[in-house]
Amino acid sequence: MGGRARIANLVPWICVAVALWLVIVPVGALLYAAFTTDAVLGDSTPTLDNFADAYAGWHILRLLGNSLVYAVGTAAVTLVMGGVVAWVVERTDAPGGALFHVLALMSFAIPGLLMAMAWIFVFSPNIGWGNAVLKSTFGLANAPLNIYSMGGMIWALSSHYFPLVYLALGPALRALDTRMEEAGQVSGGSAWQILARITFPLLRPALWSTVLLVFVMGISSYEVPRLIGRPARIDVFTTKIQEATQGGAPEFGVASALALALLAICLVAVYIYRSGVQNAESYATVTGKGYVPNVLALGRWRWPVALAVGLMFAVALGLPLATLLWQSCFANLAPPLFSSTSGATLANYEYILTYPIFLGAVRTSVLLAAMAATAIVGLTLVMAWIAQRSQTSLAWLIDALAFVPIAIPGVIVGASILLTYLVLPVGIYNTIWILLVAYVTLYLPYGMRFASSGLTQIHRELEEAGAVAGARLAQIFRRILLPLLAPVLLSAWIYVFVLSVRELGASVFLVGPGTHVLGTISLTMWEEGGSYGAVSALGILQIVPLLCIVAALRWLETRVHRRIAPPRAADIVQAAPPASARAQAA
Amino acid sequence: MFAVENLRKSYRAAGHAEVRAVDGIGFGIASGRFLTLLGPSGCGKTTTLRCLAGLERPDAGRIVLDDTVVFDAAAGVFVPASERGIGMVFQSYAIWPHMTVFENVAFPLRVARRRRYGRAEIDRRVSEALDLVQLGGYEGRPATALSGGQQQRLALARGIVHEPKMLLLDEPLSNLDAKLREQMRIELKRLQARLGITTVYVTHDQSEALALSDEIAVFEAGCIAQRGSPQEIYRAPKSRFVADFIGSANFIDGAASGPGRDGLVAIATPHGSFLCPFAAAVEPGTPVLIAARPEDLVLTSRHPGADLNVMTGKIAYRVFLGELIDYIVEHGTGEIRVRAQPDCEFAVGEAVHVAIPPQKCVGFRR
Repeated sequence: MGGRARIANLVPWICVAVALWLVIVPVGALLYAAFTTDAVLGDSTPTLDNFADAYAGWHILRLLGNSLVYAVGTAAVTLVMGGVVAWVVERTDAPGGALFHVLALMSFAIPGLLMAMAWIFVFSPNIGWGNAVLKSTFGLANAPLNIYSMGGMIWALSSHYFPLVYLALGPALRALDTRMEEAGQVSGGSAWQILARITFPLLRPALWSTVLLVFVMGISSYEVPRLIGRPARIDVFTTKIQEATQGGAPEFGVASALALALLAICLVAVYIYRSGVQNAESYATVTGKGYVPNVLALGRWRWPVALAVGLMFAVALGLPLATLLWQSCFANLAPPLFSSTSGATLANYEYILTYPIFLGAVRTSVLLAAMAATAIVGLTLVMAWIAQRSQTSLAWLIDALAFVPIAIPGVIVGASILLTYLVLPVGIYNTIWILLVAYVTLYLPYGMRFASSGLTQIHRELEEAGAVAGARLAQIFRRILLPLLAPVLLSAWIYVFVLSVRELGASVFLVGPGTHVLGTISLTMWEEGGSYGAVSALGILQIVPLLCIVAALRWLETRVHRRIAPPRAADIVQAAPPASARAQAA
Repeated sequence: MFAVENLRKSYRAAGHAEVRAVDGIGFGIASGRFLTLLGPSGCGKTTTLRCLAGLERPDAGRIVLDDTVVFDAAAGVFVPASERGIGMVFQSYAIWPHMTVFENVAFPLRVARRRRYGRAEIDRRVSEALDLVQLGGYEGRPATALSGGQQQRLALARGIVHEPKMLLLDEPLSNLDAKLREQMRIELKRLQARLGITTVYVTHDQSEALALSDEIAVFEAGCIAQRGSPQEIYRAPKSRFVADFIGSANFIDGAASGPGRDGLVAIATPHGSFLCPFAAAVEPGTPVLIAARPEDLVLTSRHPGADLNVMTGKIAYRVFLGELIDYIVEHGTGEIRVRAQPDCEFAVGEAVHVAIPPQKCVGFRR
C-alpha cells in the first residue's frame, strides 16, 4: 500500500474525529464555564456561584414557566392545526392534497425572524393593521388582540411550525392500515371501541414523537422570543441566555448554567422522542404492503373542507407574507386594505439593494451556507458509510454524534462555540469560520438523515463488487457511491443551505464587525429603527430566493428520475436516525 | 494450488453471544476444478466464500490463492479484496445501475493496477466477455434495462473479463425462476469447462450442487461435514445430516447384532433383522442408523422374499407428481416414504410390503 492509500484509509476516522470535536467541545465548554468563576478571563476557580446566580430567586421559576408554557402551547396548537391538515390530506377525499404538501414544504424557506416581524405588523396593538380592522369593524376603543403576549408568541411560532406537524404526521396516518380497523369491526367492535383500542393506540407513537419534537423546537426557538417576547417582558431560556452574554459585563458562567438546564430539558425530550420514533417504526412494519388506503368520502363537504384547510394556510402563512410584501412597497406604515396603492414605490428595494451592509451580508450568508452545506454533505456521507458499512462496534457512537445536535438549541450552540473559541487559541473568533463551525454542528443531523437514507438503499454488494474487481476504497467512493448518491446529496446540500441562510439563534452570538449575516442584519435593522418599508423589503429579498430554492428542490425530487429515493419530508423534519442496519453475512 | 487451512471466523452481534460462523474449515482445490460449498443457510458457506474474496477478515487460519498466501493470521498477512485478482458473482448480481453494460464489464480493467489496459484492449476484452455470455450487442444498453437472466450473465462477464485466478459464485442462480435456473446451470457448467477457471460455488440447492460440481463440500454449522464427488456424497453419505440434506432419506434406528452374509452387517430393527453395508467394522450392540433413499424402495403386495430388508404397513397418503408417485407408508412405529414409478398403483389404505435392497442402504453409527 502506498502513502496515498494510507491517507485514504485515515479519512473516515478524521471525519469521526471532527464530528466528535463539534459535538463534545461545546458541551464541555458549557460545563467548564458553568462551574468556574470566569472561564473567559482565565479565572478557572471551581465555583457553584453561577448556579446560585442563575437559579436562586423567583425569576428562575418564571423563566421555566414561560419557557414551558410557550413550548407546550406551541406543541398543542401545531398538533391541532397540523393534525387537521394531515387528516384531511391523508384520510379524506378532499381535493388539494398536493398543493398543501408543497405549501408545507415551502414553509421551510421562511426565516423565523420574518414571520415574527410580519405578525407584529398584523397584531401589534399600535401598528397592527389586523387590530385596526377589528377595531373599526366592531367599533372597539382598544386593540382587541395583542401580539406582545404569551398567546401572541405561541401563535406566531405555531403559524410557522404547523406544516412541520402535518409533514411528520402524514406518513403515520397514511400507513395506518384500514384493514386493522376493519378487523376490529369484523370482530364486533363498535366505532368508539375501534377508535379507542385500535386507531389511537396505533397512532400514539407518531403523535407523541411529533409533540415532543415541536416542544423541543419551541423551547429552542429564539426569533419569536427575541422580537415579541422581549418587548413584552416575557423571558424564556433562549433570550435570557443570550442577554447574559451581552452588555458591558457578560456573565458567561450564568449563561452556561442556564444553558445546561435548557440542554437537559431538550435532551430528555429528545431521548423520549427517539424511543417513540423507534416504536413508530416498529408499528409501521406491522402494516401490510400494497394495500390501498381507505379514505373517507366527504361527499358535498369535499370542497368546503378543502377550502377550510386552504384558509388555514392562507391565514397562517399567506397573511404574514402578504403583509410583508405590501409593506415593502411603501415608505411608511401602510396597512393592506386601508392605504391606497398610490404611494407604492420600489424605493425600499432600491435602498436595500444598494445598502453595502446588505450586500456584504448576502455574500457572507451565501458563502457560509455553501461551505456549511458542502462540509455537512461530505462529513455525513463518510459518517453514514462508517456507521452502516464498516464492522466497527462504534457505529452507535457515530449515529449518536450525528443525532445529538438535534437536542442542542441554536442559542446554546452559539454560546458554547463563542466560549470555546474565546478561550482556545484558535484564531477564528470574529471571523466567518466560527459561524461555519456553528452551522455544521447544528445541521449535522439533517445531513446524516439524507446520507444514511441514501446509503441504506445501496446494496452493499454494489461496493463489494467494486472491491473484488480491483477498486480501492477511494475509487469505490468516486466511481460507484458518489454517482449513485449524487441526487440525494444534492437535496441534502440545498436543504442545509436553506437552513443555514435562515439561521439566527447561533449567529447572534458569533457575528462580528466584519461578519454580518442576513439574519443578524435583519434583526439589527428592526431593533435599531430601520423604516418599516426597508425592513420588509429586506425580508422579501430573503424569502423570495429561498422560496425559489425550495421550489427547485421539490421539482428536482419529483421530476428527475432517481434510483435512490430522497428521504420523506417527515424523516427530514424529524432528522430521525435510521437504525444502522448492518447486514450480517449469511 | 488453492487452499484454505483451519479457517475460523466468529461474529458477535450486539447483545448476543458469539456466533462461530466458520469453525476450522480446511480444503484444497486443484487448478481448474469446480468446488461447491453446499449447506443450509447459516452454515458458514457464504462467510467462507467472503473470506476467500477478502471481503471478510477471518479470525484465524490461512488462505492460499494460486500459490500466493493472501491471508495468514499467524503471520499477519491480509491481502484486501481489490488486490486478490479474483472474479465474483454476487447473489444480487450487484450490477451498477448508473453504468452501461459495457462500463460494468470494463470496470475491472479500468481500475486494474497490475497493468494498464489500452482503450482498444478494453474494447476487445469486454466484447469477448460479453460474447462468451451471449450478451454481444448489448454494450450500449443501460445495465438496468436487462432482464434478471441477462443481469446474471452480465455479472458473470464482469467476473471473468480480467482473467481472474479464481471465480467465486455466491448463490448466483437463486434469484432466477425455475426454468431459467436450469438453463443457466448448463451454461455455467459449459463456460467453466471452456475457461478452465478454478471455481468456488456457494449454494443451498443440492440439485445445483450435484449438477455442476466436480466436488462438493457439505457444510454443517461452520464445519465441513463431508467432502467428495457428487456421486460419493449422494451414494455414500457419512452422516444423517448429509444423507438428509442431499436428496431425501428414510432413517431406520437399530443396533448391530453381528456379521451377516456378503460382508454386510446384521442390524436388529423394530421390523426384524436388516442387512446393511458399513464403511468400518461395527461391534455388536452398537446403536446404528440405516438410511435409504425413497427411490431405492420397492412396494409389493406380496412378501418379496427373505434376502431383502422388508417392512410391512399400509398406504397412508399418495402424492401424484406426474413422472413419479410418492407414497407415505405407515408402519408400526412411524412412516416411510417411497418414490415409485407411475405404473405402480396402490390405493390409500392398502396393505403393502416395502422392500429395501440391502446394497442400497447406508449405515452409520448413531
